[in-house]
Amino acid sequence: MKKTLRAVFSMRTALILLGILVIACVAGSVIPQGEEAAWYMSAYSRQAAGAILALGLDDVFHCPWFIALAVFLCLNLLGCNLVRFPQLFRQFKEGFTPERFLKARGKGEAVTACTDPEALFAACGFRNVHKTVVQAADGAQTDTPCIYAVKNKAGIWGAWVCHLGMLIVILGFGLGQMLQVQYAVYGVPGQTKQVGDTDYTLTIDDFTVELREDDTVEQYTAAITMTDTRTGETQSGETSVNHPATLFGMRCYQNSTGWAADIRVYKDEELIQEEVLCAGETMDIEDAEGLSLAFSAFYPDYEQGPDGMPRTASGKLNNPGYLYRLFYQGEMLGMNVLMEKEAITVDAYTIIFTDPQSYTLIQIKRDPFTWLAGIGAALVMAGLFLAFYLRTAELCALRGADGSWQVMGYSRKGGEEFAGMVREKREELEAEKTSHGKEKGEAGDEQ
Amino acid sequence: MSSDQFLQIENVLFTIAMAGYLAAMVLYALFLVFRKDVFGIWAGHITAAAFAVHTAALVTRTIGAGRLPLSNQYEFATSFAWGICACFLIFLWKYRFRALGAFVTPVIFIVIAYAAMQSKEVRELMPALRSNWLVLHVSSAIISYGAFGVSFAVSLMFLIRGKMSGSTFWQEHVPEEKRLDLISYRAVSLGFLFLTFVMVSGAIWAERAWGSYWSWDPKETWSLITWIIYAIYLHLRISKGWKGKSAAIFAVIGFICVIFTYIGVNIFLPGIHSYA
Repeated sequence: MKKTLRAVFSMRTALILLGILVIACVAGSVIPQGEEAAWYMSAYSRQAAGAILALGLDDVFHCPWFIALAVFLCLNLLGCNLVRFPQLFRQFKEGFTPERFLKARGKGEAVTACTDPEALFAACGFRNVHKTVVQAADGAQTDTPCIYAVKNKAGIWGAWVCHLGMLIVILGFGLGQMLQVQYAVYGVPGQTKQVGDTDYTLTIDDFTVELREDDTVEQYTAAITMTDTRTGETQSGETSVNHPATLFGMRCYQNSTGWAADIRVYKDEELIQEEVLCAGETMDIEDAEGLSLAFSAFYPDYEQGPDGMPRTASGKLNNPGYLYRLFYQGEMLGMNVLMEKEAITVDAYTIIFTDPQSYTLIQIKRDPFTWLAGIGAALVMAGLFLAFYLRTAELCALRGADGSWQVMGYSRKGGEEFAGMVREKREELEAEKTSHGKEKGEAGDEQ
Repeated sequence: MSSDQFLQIENVLFTIAMAGYLAAMVLYALFLVFRKDVFGIWAGHITAAAFAVHTAALVTRTIGAGRLPLSNQYEFATSFAWGICACFLIFLWKYRFRALGAFVTPVIFIVIAYAAMQSKEVRELMPALRSNWLVLHVSSAIISYGAFGVSFAVSLMFLIRGKMSGSTFWQEHVPEEKRLDLISYRAVSLGFLFLTFVMVSGAIWAERAWGSYWSWDPKETWSLITWIIYAIYLHLRISKGWKGKSAAIFAVIGFICVIFTYIGVNIFLPGIHSYA
């Protein structure tokens, strides 16, 4: 059991899992995701399509083996961190002493010799210098004077914090995927719609499309009110792209927009039905069973293209054109582009399109674990910073029998670079000392 | 001055910078072929000068466009080339070996030449792109990709140096393999830290703009793939002592993933990042 657990928590397993994750991600990005089975049958050979469907490669990121992979990776991260925590904690609390340093690295770690170790420690950025007397590791001497210092102790936690962060990110994302709720509500100002299967309704109070001089869109802004139908309590807010509103703990995003029109149906000149229809929607003519109208597209500045197809010359409402299709019992009766003030006449019914306006689509979402993923991401960043830029380093100087000091140093990452830096600092100090001595000598001569 | 005049100046400065990088690349090649220091010295000066002109080009475009140049293929490519050059100059200043330029300047030139092939038209930003998170996201991507570019060049040097062990020129002008390995590792560390921030800032921006901080869009997926490749590199290196040739090959593969994430995904796997 212990052996199995050790294998599950090992670095080797982690690397294998990461390798599989890479392969899964490549497959998920190269193979179109979420299509119907028939689509894969037509797009790939029979064998390839069969393999894609059997392995769940048509929806890689939600298929059971991918979820199992993520769970396994979480277990590996968790186990790895649990195993390492006591070791790191012990090292952090008790590991940084001259005795331990000498025991672990007493031999063969000499960096340089120097005459003024305290100045060298200060020059190398070591502040809290610890002076003591130790027994040298080689046992040749007893009660050897020693100066020891450590810096960036927190750096040893870097990888651990990073792994913890990754674990939290995956957990936050996974839980969010399982428990998040998401709805879409669309409509024009004045309309109130039910928010999915919740007890809330959403009223679109206002919707504005802010245009620049060149007709491109600067911003879409919707003023919205959400009502709790159980208590009658309301909350209002404004949502625009990049600035979602939060109402009753749900985030409301200004997702997209399109055109809607007021459809009026007359029978013998009497208004019998009036509805706001968004482009792409279909409505039944209630009085005429089997008759339905589809509002297929809208052209705010209608014109015919060179190929004879309808198109819009600009985004401005200069010459509105409505592309409609009319059906009777599922059979298309006809389609055409209807201009403002024109009407469709079917038997006793007259249908007109009027009052074109922009509708807004508000995406409403509640993900109770976004904050968790956010904390995880912050921990990953902090961990990486600790690991790469707060490198733990130790410096220890021992005085020899002749009074000279032998300096030893250790840095877990970039040890040679660290040793080089210590030597450079020593040279700088010596050069400084020499020039200072010369200046003093010259000043003495002048006197 | 009108914004059009600023953009005209930017166009001239961009061309001069590109010509500068080309000249530096040629001089670095001559430095390697004829083994004369004078070529290397001039190549270094020209690279620094081209970088200064390139910086001026980006500043004038910022003024002309009224925003940072980080929003379309041309702008990101020119900024990407600038990022690689900035990282190269920093590493050159820190580690002081001229031959690095012979491997970095071709990468800079290829990226800036790719930029030159893109449309330079300044378009107003769509509402989703009007976010401070975009600036953080793309700026950190420039630093990250720049650092990975340097690690790629250093790793190539590492791989070639092994085959040039008999050459005194290489012994004199290219640091020993151990040092090259360390420089490559340092560059990957920097790039990895910033790549993580690219993903985090991108996720925050996506959450605010589209309501989903991760949606397995091809660009997101490939940046995750790149991140995992470099994560494997760092794990193997730190914990398994994986250094030398294997690490250098891994760093090269990592940079190929970076390039695919940047250019390949836009061409072959368009998604919501299609404008990038």
